[in-house]
Amino acid sequence: MFNIPKGKEVPLGCVTPAPVTEQPMMITGNWREYRPVLEPEKCDLCMNCVVFCPDACFQLDEAEEMVVLNEKYCKGCNICIEVCATDALVKVHELDFEDGVVRLEKPF
Amino acid sequence: MTVAVRTQNLPPIKLIRNVPKEEYYVPGHRTCAGCGPALQYKLVAKAAGPNTIFVGPTGCMYVANASYLCTPYAVPWMHSQITNGGAVASGIEAAYRVLLRKGKREGELPNIIVMAGDGGSTDIGLQAMSAMMYRGHDALFICYDNESYANTGIQTSPTTPYGSNTTFTPPGSAIPEGKKLFPKDPPQLVIGGHPAVKYVATASVAYPVDLINKVRKALNVQGPTFMHIHAPCPKGWKFDAAKTVEIARLAIETGMWNMYEWENGEYKYQFRPKRYKPVREYVKLQGRFAHLSEAHIAKLQAFVDAKLKAPGIPVEVPAPPPRAQA
Amino acid sequence: MAKEMMLSGCAAAAQAAKLAQVEVICSYPIRPYTAIMMELAKMVANGELDAEFVHGEGEHAQLSVVLGAAAAGARALTGSSGVGVTYAFETYSPIAGGRIPLQMMIADRALDPPGDFGSEHTDAMSCRDQGWIMGWAENPQEAFDNCLINYRVGEDHRVLLPQFVCQDGYFVSHIPGKVVIPDQSQVDEFLPPYALPHPLDPKHPVSHGPQIRPDQGTVMNLQRAQAMLDTPAVIKEVIDDYNRIFGRNLSPFVEEYMTDDAEIAFFIMGAHTMTARHAVKHLRSQGVKIGLVKLRFVRPWPTQEVAEVLSKFKAVGVVETSTSYGGAARGGNLLHEVRASLYELPQRPLTTSFMAGLGGEMVPLKDFYYMADILSKAVKDGKTKKTVYWVGFEAED
Repeated sequence: MFNIPKGKEVPLGCVTPAPVTEQPMMITGNWREYRPVLEPEKCDLCMNCVVFCPDACFQLDEAEEMVVLNEKYCKGCNICIEVCATDALVKVHELDFEDGVVRLEKPF
Repeated sequence: MTVAVRTQNLPPIKLIRNVPKEEYYVPGHRTCAGCGPALQYKLVAKAAGPNTIFVGPTGCMYVANASYLCTPYAVPWMHSQITNGGAVASGIEAAYRVLLRKGKREGELPNIIVMAGDGGSTDIGLQAMSAMMYRGHDALFICYDNESYANTGIQTSPTTPYGSNTTFTPPGSAIPEGKKLFPKDPPQLVIGGHPAVKYVATASVAYPVDLINKVRKALNVQGPTFMHIHAPCPKGWKFDAAKTVEIARLAIETGMWNMYEWENGEYKYQFRPKRYKPVREYVKLQGRFAHLSEAHIAKLQAFVDAKLKAPGIPVEVPAPPPRAQA
Repeated sequence: MAKEMMLSGCAAAAQAAKLAQVEVICSYPIRPYTAIMMELAKMVANGELDAEFVHGEGEHAQLSVVLGAAAAGARALTGSSGVGVTYAFETYSPIAGGRIPLQMMIADRALDPPGDFGSEHTDAMSCRDQGWIMGWAENPQEAFDNCLINYRVGEDHRVLLPQFVCQDGYFVSHIPGKVVIPDQSQVDEFLPPYALPHPLDPKHPVSHGPQIRPDQGTVMNLQRAQAMLDTPAVIKEVIDDYNRIFGRNLSPFVEEYMTDDAEIAFFIMGAHTMTARHAVKHLRSQGVKIGLVKLRFVRPWPTQEVAEVLSKFKAVGVVETSTSYGGAARGGNLLHEVRASLYELPQRPLTTSFMAGLGGEMVPLKDFYYMADILSKAVKDGKTKKTVYWVGFEAED
């Protein structure tokens, strides 16, 4: 038998479990320079941001009747700002936020 | 041979508000910000639903999605070589036929979808794609077209437009236009030559409802189907990541991308502008075309004009000048 | 009731595949293995075998189709010969590393250039590093046996490896020999249904083969190395079971013939073993102390068994029908593996390589007598004159 150091394990045949709602082994929120910020009073729930986000980072919170950004994964591509039907989204510098720039312990 | 029973009938949707909420291509993948292929993948996965198996030939939608030791696919997915997406999918389909017939699996034939890039569909993967179409496997072959071998750092592929700057077609004094060759037309490679194919469609990330409906239609059809999906690439085409959807729309408005379905011998068009914008408007927004002269743009315009006459007619490409005169 | 038939190696392999109830078959024509597929096509067409018979567009596609099928959970079979085997080369590592057991029947054929329908082992041998189980049949009966044995070994959860099941083109694939065909019930007792641990199934989603970091690469390799280390024990178990159920007497790794008190021996695999046996029998009647050792599996290479059996002799002639240009032995590859097996022994026999049967040439008895002569001389001289002899082409020395 061999001694496999921690962190280098690979499942048999490289068959990995499928994710369910998110893939926490690839957090990408630390990529962004700009964060899209919603002005809720301007939003008419057109759902463009939800549909056009390549990373599925906007989702509709049905109870709150509002779209919510998944800051853990948003890469700051700003497509949502471009496609918003009512200009309800603005881009704000990530470093302007107190919790700006998602920090990770290690890159992967 | 008994045919696998398929009762699945994925319904079409009318509005963006009706786009299904469940995600089967979840957040947490290493694709570029604003990645067109990632966006189409998300929409395709939504359209197909949970009873789906994806085959992922090597390309951006493999390497970027599957780094490292994790994927964003909530449904079964298998890596294949860039050469053989169509063949691996054929094997999965054949296996399900016999396993269902013998009662070793229950339920219905799952949706089997090959998610291949332009190289994996029309170049190195062409043979396997064509054979899957020919053999009549009940599966969908999607060519997500970012018009280059993007994963390896943007090299030319058979769908790269004339005049593109790629790392294998850089513009220079001897070859000022960069790419000299005109692209293959993937849906036309399939249509008419494969008797078992009943439905072929083009789609774009610019129109997600249309894309979802076409995917569902393709999956409902029994037999092999082919879709060609335009997926702009901010990194390769050199435009701001926020503009992916705008660029996709402009491609349709200028005729650089055509939206249609082909079903049982008949064409049906979507989003055909009454008046096409000049290709210059599309070209000026992308760094990959920044080096083009007026003469080059004119050539590109001529090609687009000829193609727009009708899908399926052969287009004579302007012959490149002999090198001495360039 | 088991019945006896006269079958070519291809037909025998097809009979075994039918009894193994293979579920997905992918064909593509190339001489000489095509006959296997033609037999199976008939069986599928007339309802004898319930399987999907997929017409692959090429050998690379064949392997790709059966990879998908086996990953989805079906017992899969394909095959090829010669340049078909090498055309599919890209797929071999992904299949073995993905731990997808499936079977490829190879009826050997010399590689181009140019076209040559004759048998050489080089086609399969050149794939020996890809992590597949690999072994040769001597005759149609063994072509039958090896199909069933390899399915069981490969599908065992301690192994989970694909298998190259090889037979010499024409000499085994097309010349009929006696084959005992057992009952389906006996085969069912020997070979359980195929059950892959993580098949592609929407009810239990998994991701097959995401990208890994370079520092995880060695771990993938270690997994594959471990699988090969674990395989010999399974082979032994399986062959014991095969012998018990089918009333046979196969030895799992090396088979000895007339080796008692032998001073020299042939080390050989494949079709020409039959001729070598006759040569040994004749030479024994002339008083030559000669024996024969037949190799069943090239991968996993049975290092210990080879060392043990060959250590009994003073000189061993490794009869090879494959090429490795520029290799250490300047001939084939078997000599490298034999010498590596013998290296640790305090007393090593003399070894030399005999390149015979290349291109699909016959290897007549007189060639084996020539080889035996060289070995006897080597024992007398206490050393071999050369590392490799290209039998029939050496200048008189």
